[in-house]
Amino acid sequence: MSVAFVAHCLLNQNSKTDGGAACAGVYSPAVDLLRARGWRIEQMPCPELAFTGLNRFWAVREQYDTLAYRRHCQRIAASVAAAIASRVERGEDVVLIGVEGSPSMGVCITSSDPRRGGRPGWPDGAGELTVGEGIYVEELRRELQSRGVGLPRVVGVTHPLPDHDAEAERAALESLLEP
Amino acid sequence: MEGDHRSFRIALTSDRYVNPPPGELDGLAVLGEAGWGVMQLPPEDYPAELRRSMLVEVAEQAEEFSRRGYDVVLIGDDEGLMDALHAVNTARPAQLVPASEAELLDFLRSRPVPEAAHLLK
Repeated sequence: MSVAFVAHCLLNQNSKTDGGAACAGVYSPAVDLLRARGWRIEQMPCPELAFTGLNRFWAVREQYDTLAYRRHCQRIAASVAAAIASRVERGEDVVLIGVEGSPSMGVCITSSDPRRGGRPGWPDGAGELTVGEGIYVEELRRELQSRGVGLPRVVGVTHPLPDHDAEAERAALESLLEP
Repeated sequence: MEGDHRSFRIALTSDRYVNPPPGELDGLAVLGEAGWGVMQLPPEDYPAELRRSMLVEVAEQAEEFSRRGYDVVLIGDDEGLMDALHAVNTARPAQLVPASEAELLDFLRSRPVPEAAHLLK
Protein backbone atom coordinates (compact mmCIF):
# COMPACT_ATOMS: atom_id res chain seq x y z
CA MET A 1 0.00 0.00 0.00
CA SER A 2 1.04 3.62 -0.57
CA VAL A 3 0.14 6.27 1.98
CA ALA A 4 0.32 10.07 1.70
CA PHE A 5 0.37 12.04 4.93
CA VAL A 6 -1.03 15.38 3.87
CA ALA A 7 -1.25 18.84 5.41
CA HIS A 8 -4.60 19.39 7.10
CA CYS A 9 -5.65 22.17 4.74
CA LEU A 10 -5.49 19.94 1.67
CA LEU A 11 -8.74 18.38 2.88
CA ASN A 12 -10.01 21.44 4.73
CA GLN A 13 -9.33 24.91 3.40
CA ASN A 14 -11.48 26.28 6.24
CA SER A 15 -8.40 25.92 8.44
CA LYS A 16 -6.49 28.56 6.50
CA THR A 17 -5.62 32.01 7.78
CA ASP A 18 -8.18 34.61 6.72
CA GLY A 19 -7.74 35.29 3.02
CA GLY A 20 -5.90 32.04 2.34
CA ALA A 21 -8.65 29.59 1.41
CA ALA A 22 -8.14 28.75 -2.26
CA CYS A 23 -11.42 26.81 -2.45
CA ALA A 24 -14.46 25.90 -0.36
CA GLY A 25 -13.16 22.76 1.30
CA VAL A 26 -11.07 20.06 -0.38
CA TYR A 27 -8.06 21.18 -2.45
CA SER A 28 -8.78 18.89 -5.36
CA PRO A 29 -5.62 19.31 -7.49
CA ALA A 30 -3.63 17.33 -4.93
CA VAL A 31 -6.36 15.07 -3.59
CA ASP A 32 -7.65 13.99 -7.00
CA LEU A 33 -4.15 13.09 -8.14
CA LEU A 34 -3.46 11.00 -5.04
CA ARG A 35 -6.71 9.10 -5.42
CA ALA A 36 -6.28 8.59 -9.15
CA ARG A 37 -2.93 6.96 -8.42
CA GLY A 38 -4.44 4.73 -5.72
CA TRP A 39 -2.76 6.39 -2.75
CA ARG A 40 -4.30 6.19 0.68
CA ILE A 41 -4.71 9.63 2.32
CA GLU A 42 -3.99 10.41 5.96
CA GLN A 43 -4.59 13.99 7.11
CA MET A 44 -2.23 15.56 9.62
CA PRO A 45 -3.55 18.09 12.15
CA CYS A 46 -3.09 21.81 11.43
CA PRO A 47 -0.60 22.91 14.09
CA GLU A 48 -1.56 26.57 13.83
CA LEU A 49 -5.33 26.10 14.04
CA ALA A 50 -5.57 24.75 17.58
CA PHE A 51 -2.74 26.97 18.86
CA THR A 52 -3.60 30.42 17.54
CA GLY A 53 -7.11 29.82 16.22
CA LEU A 54 -9.13 30.81 13.20
CA ASN A 55 -8.69 34.53 13.82
CA ARG A 56 -4.90 34.37 13.63
CA PHE A 57 -2.90 36.83 11.55
CA TRP A 58 -0.66 35.83 8.70
CA ALA A 59 2.66 35.17 10.42
CA VAL A 60 6.27 34.23 9.77
CA ARG A 61 8.44 31.59 11.43
CA GLU A 62 9.88 33.97 14.01
CA GLN A 63 6.42 34.76 15.37
CA TYR A 64 5.67 31.06 15.91
CA ASP A 65 9.14 30.03 17.02
CA THR A 66 8.50 29.86 20.76
CA LEU A 67 9.04 27.06 23.23
CA ALA A 68 5.28 26.72 23.73
CA TYR A 69 4.56 26.39 20.02
CA ARG A 70 7.36 23.88 19.54
CA ARG A 71 5.95 21.79 22.41
CA HIS A 72 2.56 21.93 20.70
CA CYS A 73 4.11 20.80 17.41
CA GLN A 74 6.05 18.06 19.22
CA ARG A 75 2.82 16.70 20.67
CA ILE A 76 1.25 16.51 17.21
CA ALA A 77 4.44 15.16 15.64
CA ALA A 78 4.57 12.32 18.19
CA SER A 79 1.22 10.98 16.97
CA VAL A 80 1.95 11.51 13.29
CA ALA A 81 5.41 9.95 13.58
CA ALA A 82 3.92 6.91 15.31
CA ALA A 83 1.47 6.52 12.44
CA ILE A 84 4.20 6.95 9.82
CA ALA A 85 6.46 4.49 11.66
CA SER A 86 3.70 1.88 11.74
CA ARG A 87 3.25 2.23 7.99
CA VAL A 88 6.97 2.01 7.32
CA GLU A 89 7.24 -1.08 9.53
CA ARG A 90 4.58 -2.74 7.35
CA GLY A 91 6.69 -2.00 4.27
CA GLU A 92 4.31 0.58 2.90
CA ASP A 93 5.49 3.47 0.72
CA VAL A 94 5.00 6.77 2.56
CA VAL A 95 5.19 10.36 1.32
CA LEU A 96 4.48 13.67 3.02
CA ILE A 97 2.78 16.63 1.36
CA GLY A 98 3.19 20.03 3.01
CA VAL A 99 2.41 23.61 2.09
CA GLU A 100 5.13 25.81 0.65
CA GLY A 101 5.51 29.24 2.20
CA SER A 102 3.95 28.14 5.48
CA PRO A 103 5.80 28.96 8.72
CA SER A 104 4.68 25.56 10.04
CA MET A 105 4.03 23.24 7.09
CA GLY A 106 6.63 24.38 4.54
CA VAL A 107 8.86 21.56 3.31
CA CYS A 108 11.20 23.47 0.97
CA ILE A 109 9.99 27.06 1.32
CA THR A 110 8.94 28.75 4.53
CA SER A 111 8.50 32.38 5.56
CA SER A 112 10.91 34.39 7.65
CA ASP A 113 11.25 38.00 8.77
CA PRO A 114 13.04 38.65 12.06
CA ARG A 115 11.72 42.22 12.19
CA ARG A 116 8.05 41.32 11.98
CA GLY A 117 5.94 42.05 15.05
CA GLY A 118 3.67 44.61 16.62
CA ARG A 119 0.77 46.24 14.81
CA PRO A 120 0.22 44.38 11.50
CA GLY A 121 0.95 46.55 8.51
CA TRP A 122 3.17 44.77 6.05
CA PRO A 123 2.46 45.31 2.38
CA ASP A 124 1.55 42.44 0.07
CA GLY A 125 4.61 40.98 -1.52
CA ALA A 126 6.86 41.58 1.47
CA GLY A 127 9.90 39.37 0.94
CA GLU A 128 9.38 36.83 3.69
CA LEU A 129 9.63 33.66 1.58
CA THR A 130 12.86 31.79 2.07
CA VAL A 131 14.33 28.33 1.63
CA GLY A 132 13.68 26.11 4.62
CA GLU A 133 11.24 23.96 6.54
CA GLY A 134 8.35 25.09 8.70
CA ILE A 135 8.49 24.57 12.45
CA TYR A 136 6.12 21.60 12.55
CA VAL A 137 7.99 19.85 9.73
CA GLU A 138 11.25 20.36 11.66
CA GLU A 139 9.71 18.82 14.76
CA LEU A 140 8.27 15.91 12.77
CA ARG A 141 11.70 15.25 11.25
CA ARG A 142 13.23 15.18 14.75
CA GLU A 143 10.53 12.89 16.09
CA LEU A 144 10.95 10.46 13.19
CA GLN A 145 14.73 10.48 13.65
CA SER A 146 14.29 9.63 17.33
CA ARG A 147 12.29 6.58 16.20
CA GLY A 148 14.92 5.58 13.66
CA VAL A 149 12.70 6.52 10.74
CA GLY A 150 13.77 9.03 8.11
CA LEU A 151 11.52 11.81 6.86
CA PRO A 152 9.56 10.39 3.90
CA ARG A 153 9.84 11.85 0.42
CA VAL A 154 8.26 15.28 0.58
CA VAL A 155 6.75 17.95 -1.61
CA GLY A 156 4.63 21.00 -0.89
CA VAL A 157 1.59 22.35 -2.67
CA THR A 158 2.33 25.83 -3.93
CA HIS A 159 -1.03 27.56 -4.20
CA PRO A 160 -0.16 30.04 -1.41
CA LEU A 161 2.90 31.30 -3.30
CA PRO A 162 2.66 34.42 -5.48
CA ASP A 163 4.27 32.62 -8.42
CA HIS A 164 2.06 29.51 -8.10
CA ASP A 165 2.06 27.45 -11.29
CA ALA A 166 -0.63 24.77 -11.27
CA GLU A 167 1.12 22.66 -13.90
CA ALA A 168 4.43 22.78 -12.04
CA GLU A 169 2.67 21.83 -8.81
CA ARG A 170 1.06 18.84 -10.50
CA ALA A 171 4.37 17.77 -12.03
CA ALA A 172 6.06 17.91 -8.63
CA LEU A 173 3.27 15.84 -7.07
CA GLU A 174 3.44 13.30 -9.88
CA SER A 175 7.19 13.02 -9.45
CA LEU A 176 6.77 12.47 -5.70
CA LEU A 177 4.36 9.59 -6.27
CA GLU A 178 6.69 7.70 -8.57
CA PRO A 179 8.01 4.64 -6.75
CA MET B 1 -12.39 37.56 3.96
CA GLU B 2 -11.80 39.14 0.58
CA GLY B 3 -10.59 36.54 -1.90
CA ASP B 4 -11.18 33.75 0.58
CA HIS B 5 -13.28 30.85 -0.66
CA ARG B 6 -13.95 28.88 2.53
CA SER B 7 -17.36 27.31 3.06
CA PHE B 8 -17.51 27.49 6.89
CA ARG B 9 -18.64 23.83 6.77
CA ILE B 10 -16.63 20.99 8.29
CA ALA B 11 -17.34 17.26 8.20
CA LEU B 12 -15.59 15.08 10.78
CA THR B 13 -15.36 12.02 8.58
CA SER B 14 -14.65 8.37 9.32
CA ASP B 15 -11.65 6.97 7.53
CA ARG B 16 -13.78 4.51 5.56
CA TYR B 17 -15.42 7.45 3.77
CA VAL B 18 -12.06 9.13 3.04
CA ASN B 19 -10.34 5.95 1.87
CA PRO B 20 -13.31 3.79 0.84
CA PRO B 21 -12.90 0.14 -0.04
CA PRO B 22 -13.71 -0.64 -3.67
CA GLY B 23 -17.40 -0.29 -4.39
CA GLU B 24 -18.17 1.55 -1.15
CA LEU B 25 -19.45 5.12 -0.78
CA ASP B 26 -16.77 7.70 -1.63
CA GLY B 27 -17.64 10.28 1.01
CA LEU B 28 -14.59 12.45 0.34
CA ALA B 29 -15.62 12.93 -3.28
CA VAL B 30 -19.17 13.86 -2.31
CA LEU B 31 -18.04 16.23 0.44
CA GLY B 32 -15.48 17.86 -1.80
CA GLU B 33 -17.96 18.38 -4.60
CA ALA B 34 -20.46 19.85 -2.14
CA GLY B 35 -17.86 22.31 -0.85
CA TRP B 36 -17.32 20.87 2.61
CA GLY B 37 -14.00 20.72 4.39
CA VAL B 38 -13.04 17.33 5.78
CA MET B 39 -11.43 16.42 9.09
CA GLN B 40 -10.46 12.78 8.84
CA LEU B 41 -10.94 10.53 11.87
CA PRO B 42 -8.14 8.07 12.63
CA PRO B 43 -8.22 4.64 10.99
CA GLU B 44 -9.69 1.92 13.15
CA ASP B 45 -6.68 -0.38 12.75
CA TYR B 46 -4.33 1.95 14.64
CA PRO B 47 -3.52 1.03 18.26
CA ALA B 48 -6.01 2.40 20.80
CA GLU B 49 -3.52 4.77 22.43
CA LEU B 50 -2.51 6.25 19.07
CA ARG B 51 -6.16 6.69 18.08
CA ARG B 52 -6.85 8.40 21.40
CA SER B 53 -4.04 10.91 20.92
CA MET B 54 -5.13 11.60 17.33
CA LEU B 55 -8.70 12.20 18.48
CA VAL B 56 -7.46 14.75 21.02
CA GLU B 57 -6.10 16.80 18.11
CA VAL B 58 -9.30 16.39 16.08
CA ALA B 59 -11.43 17.46 19.03
CA GLU B 60 -9.36 20.57 19.80
CA GLN B 61 -9.63 21.70 16.19
CA ALA B 62 -13.35 20.89 16.02
CA GLU B 63 -13.86 22.93 19.18
CA GLU B 64 -12.29 25.97 17.52
CA PHE B 65 -14.48 25.63 14.42
CA SER B 66 -17.62 25.08 16.48
CA ARG B 67 -16.99 27.99 18.84
CA ARG B 68 -16.38 30.31 15.89
CA GLY B 69 -19.74 29.49 14.31
CA TYR B 70 -18.68 27.05 11.60
CA ASP B 71 -21.07 24.16 10.91
CA VAL B 72 -19.47 20.94 12.16
CA VAL B 73 -21.07 17.56 11.41
CA LEU B 74 -20.03 13.95 11.84
CA ILE B 75 -20.08 11.60 8.87
CA GLY B 76 -19.68 8.08 10.15
CA ASP B 77 -19.13 7.17 13.77
CA ASP B 78 -16.43 6.98 16.40
CA GLU B 79 -17.20 6.47 20.09
CA GLY B 80 -13.74 7.68 21.04
CA LEU B 81 -14.48 10.98 19.34
CA MET B 82 -17.40 11.62 21.67
CA ASP B 83 -15.13 11.29 24.70
CA ALA B 84 -12.58 13.63 23.11
CA LEU B 85 -15.24 16.23 22.25
CA HIS B 86 -16.69 15.99 25.76
CA ALA B 87 -13.23 16.70 27.18
CA VAL B 88 -13.16 20.05 25.35
CA ASN B 89 -16.78 20.92 26.22
CA THR B 90 -17.98 20.52 22.66
CA ALA B 91 -21.42 19.12 21.93
CA ARG B 92 -22.00 16.00 19.85
CA PRO B 93 -22.35 17.21 16.25
CA ALA B 94 -25.21 16.33 13.94
CA GLN B 95 -24.40 12.89 12.60
CA LEU B 96 -25.09 10.70 9.60
CA VAL B 97 -23.83 7.24 8.75
CA PRO B 98 -24.65 7.39 5.06
CA ALA B 99 -25.33 4.36 2.94
CA SER B 100 -25.52 6.21 -0.36
CA GLU B 101 -24.36 9.35 -2.12
CA ALA B 102 -27.95 10.62 -2.31
CA GLU B 103 -28.45 10.19 1.43
CA LEU B 104 -25.24 12.07 2.17
CA LEU B 105 -26.12 14.89 -0.23
CA ASP B 106 -29.60 15.24 1.26
CA PHE B 107 -28.09 15.56 4.72
CA LEU B 108 -25.54 18.17 3.63
CA ARG B 109 -28.17 20.21 1.81
CA SER B 110 -30.41 20.18 4.86
CA ARG B 111 -27.87 21.99 7.00
CA PRO B 112 -28.48 25.64 7.91
CA VAL B 113 -26.21 28.44 6.76
CA PRO B 114 -23.34 28.55 9.27
CA GLU B 115 -23.36 31.41 11.73
CA ALA B 116 -19.79 32.32 10.77
CA ALA B 117 -20.82 32.75 7.14
CA HIS B 118 -23.23 35.50 8.24
CA LEU B 119 -20.69 37.15 10.50
CA LEU B 120 -17.61 37.07 8.32
CA LYS B 121 -18.68 37.14 4.67
